[in-house]
Amino acid sequence: MILDIRYLALRLGQAILVLLLAFTAAFILLSLIPGDGVTARFADPALGLSPDQIAQIREATGADDSWITRYLLSLSGFLTGDFGYSVQTGAAVSTIIAAALPSTAVLAASGFVTAVVLAVIIAVLATSGPAAGPLSWIRRILDSVPSLFISIPVFWLGILLIQVFSFQLGFVSVVNPGPAEALVLPTLTVAVPLSAPIAQVLIRSITEVQASGFVKVTAAKGASQTWLLVHTVARNAVLPGLTIIGLVFGELVAGAVVTETVFGRNGIGLITAQAVTHRDNPILLAVVVIATFGYVIINLVVDLLYPVIDVRLRTKRSAASANKALRTHDEPTRRALTASAASVGVDLDWAQTPGDTESKGRES
Amino acid sequence: MLGLGLGIGSIALFSACTPTDTSPLADGKPEQGGVLTYFEPQTWTLLYPPSVGFYPNGGIMNNISARLLWQDPKTLELHPWLATELPETNADATTYTFTLRHGVTYSDGTPLTPANVAKNFDLYGKGDEARTLPVSEQISNYERSEVLDDRRVRFHFSAPSPGFAQATSTMNAGLLSDSTLDLDAEGFGPGGAKQIHTCGPFHITDETIGTKLSVRAREDYDWAPPHLKHQGRAHLDGIDYLTNNEYSVRIGAVLSGQADGVRDVQAPDESRVTEQGLRLYAKATNGINNSINFRFRHDLLADLDVRRALIAAVDRQEIVDKLFTPNYPLATGLLAKGAMGYKDQSGSWVYDPDEADRLLDKAGWSERNSAGYRVKDGQLLALTVNIALPQPRSNEVQTLIQQQLRRVGVRLSINPGDQSKQTLDALELDTVQIYHSMVARADFDNLRSNYSSVNRDVFLNGPDRTDADDDSVDPKVDELLDALAAEPDAKKRQRAAERVQDYLVDQAYVLPFFEEPQVFAFRRRVHGFATEPVGRPDFYSTWLAGEK
Repeated sequence: MILDIRYLALRLGQAILVLLLAFTAAFILLSLIPGDGVTARFADPALGLSPDQIAQIREATGADDSWITRYLLSLSGFLTGDFGYSVQTGAAVSTIIAAALPSTAVLAASGFVTAVVLAVIIAVLATSGPAAGPLSWIRRILDSVPSLFISIPVFWLGILLIQVFSFQLGFVSVVNPGPAEALVLPTLTVAVPLSAPIAQVLIRSITEVQASGFVKVTAAKGASQTWLLVHTVARNAVLPGLTIIGLVFGELVAGAVVTETVFGRNGIGLITAQAVTHRDNPILLAVVVIATFGYVIINLVVDLLYPVIDVRLRTKRSAASANKALRTHDEPTRRALTASAASVGVDLDWAQTPGDTESKGRES
Repeated sequence: MLGLGLGIGSIALFSACTPTDTSPLADGKPEQGGVLTYFEPQTWTLLYPPSVGFYPNGGIMNNISARLLWQDPKTLELHPWLATELPETNADATTYTFTLRHGVTYSDGTPLTPANVAKNFDLYGKGDEARTLPVSEQISNYERSEVLDDRRVRFHFSAPSPGFAQATSTMNAGLLSDSTLDLDAEGFGPGGAKQIHTCGPFHITDETIGTKLSVRAREDYDWAPPHLKHQGRAHLDGIDYLTNNEYSVRIGAVLSGQADGVRDVQAPDESRVTEQGLRLYAKATNGINNSINFRFRHDLLADLDVRRALIAAVDRQEIVDKLFTPNYPLATGLLAKGAMGYKDQSGSWVYDPDEADRLLDKAGWSERNSAGYRVKDGQLLALTVNIALPQPRSNEVQTLIQQQLRRVGVRLSINPGDQSKQTLDALELDTVQIYHSMVARADFDNLRSNYSSVNRDVFLNGPDRTDADDDSVDPKVDELLDALAAEPDAKKRQRAAERVQDYLVDQAYVLPFFEEPQVFAFRRRVHGFATEPVGRPDFYSTWLAGEK
């Protein structure tokens, strides 16, 4: 088995600690901002309330309690799944989040998949063209696409897409669109800047892997360009890409704030923007915890995927379990196998003693 | 909000190729049917009637609720609606008796009864802090209700409350069914809209939190104000209120024909809307004009000469000409021309920078520092103004004033920040000394709502402040406003309102800029659009051409 239960438990423990720390840090930072949502809402001149009336409401809502009381109250609420009530509207935070989360999840998923596809296409095209000669300009242009994509402001792209594809060409409607129709332009808006770092890293790692010895050996054996890319290069070049995918998740959340605002999609990004404007701390706390949760989960999945994709990263004991089948082989066979395994980047780790292998070994 | 300036540039780029709207403009016989799609810049927050001063809330509440009385948006006269006649009131305006119409039902099927009306006003008149449902700022001195029989209900006040009859006609006194009145603040907020049961021409049928609210016509609606020609159900089948924070998307959706209407068309875009053939409406709000208020309790503004100098240094005509359109008429008084209590004071605010210099020199601010700003005893003549985010182009207005004041050596800072920060900072005299605001209500009481220390308190004129001594309070302001609020006779109210305005002008407490309209754009197929007295949309008699 590739997954190690103890490792998993440890990582989950870490994840819970990260969540708690993020919650606490967010709570402290939000408490430090002068003025709170209750005053912001009820002292709004649009209501015309007197200072006495505001003071009564502050008392009724517990806004004047000490921060430690409020902290423990919110923390125990979060632990029991009660996120409290929005200061701005009085609606339950869970209602607001429940209405917003699916739309953001769909946008994040589709934006993410599109970004990865876009990044792979850019990376493959940018690395497969001729590096020299009269057509090398194609490669140079594609090579600079990630820098272009990362420089496009998300809101500008969103507005431009709406203006062109909705208002001018009428392909999609921004008023009462169908579920798929509503997703096309926001997905593109999210995906373009997101694909840039992934594509950049993929281009670099494909270039590096293409230059390494085992690729040359395989090419010398007569493998075609495509075969090389799919079977030899891709597997080795994907790891840095995977790492960057875990990291860009944060950007996905930030991108959602602008994209959802421009497209009027009710999602986590939109409610975050509104909650910030209204000092709606209960909503902001919930958003911080949800975003942290998503970030932790994505990175956990990425970490757990490493050994699945790259044999070199499996724990010693799982790598050693491969020995079992080979243990009986004689010394010359072992040496030959080690050499060929090393040529494709796999360390067979023969140094393990058989006893060790049996006590800890798990089947991969 | 994310006010994304680049968006305006990109629409300008593309608008040239949007087809113009060429549907007929002339109104024929109203057609029935069709759902109107209408864009708001912000999502609604609370459908608790006393809190619907916030525009997105009011735009909904005005169309789903019915009230005891109806106020004519043109004449501002009161007419019966759910009450069969105007209320009987005693000489000092401390009791009001309403007789209710028969056969009115709420959208949950329950009937309108005197007990229900009493329950409504008990909540609006007293509020319920435990449920964070505040009292209505429009109802003052409310004491209790009394059900007289199966048709009549009486309201008692602890002191004269001459503004009450008008208060019953506003959407802030929209009537709710018994079950709705038992909701807490959560129930009135997003996620609970379908529990809100009203007795207006439309009722809420669907809600998508944060983006959309659907209301549909009530087929059995048969209690329109008798004063109106249109009776029976609304012409429209319904309205979809859509929200998008991005201005270029809202206006673009209407220009491209995807949506039928939009509120809050900004002044620079008015010409584009009309060039595209769309209908542009600038509806008067009939209230206090868009103004800045000088907080005289701050040391720097305590001197009458300094306040007069600031007024003389501001070129109001330049503000209106450079930043706005003729739909924003230059203010001729503290109140808009159409407001109750209006008094023409047009000669009171003359632009005269030389006079400003002279007054400031006289007030002891003759010395200037190296940057050209005036100083006295080492203190800089520096003031801060808030940005009134709900008001049109407040930041631009203040930037222009900043330049104008710079010429006479006064430094004006513009307080940065979002809506909450502006609200909170405006409560502190040390942070904001000049307060930019406007408020609209079609009653004499509007003056009190705005200037009184127990309501909006634009001057921060209440006692027990930590940032100003009690002896800097100007008691005359509240005295004059209390006299106005306690005067039951309409003619005498007019005189009391004029006395308030005269005093504020004489003391140079206020500088009004323009009469603030609500600007809407609609496709040509939308006929019969109207607003109530303070510019909230009223879709009851609106109809769509070519739906059949």
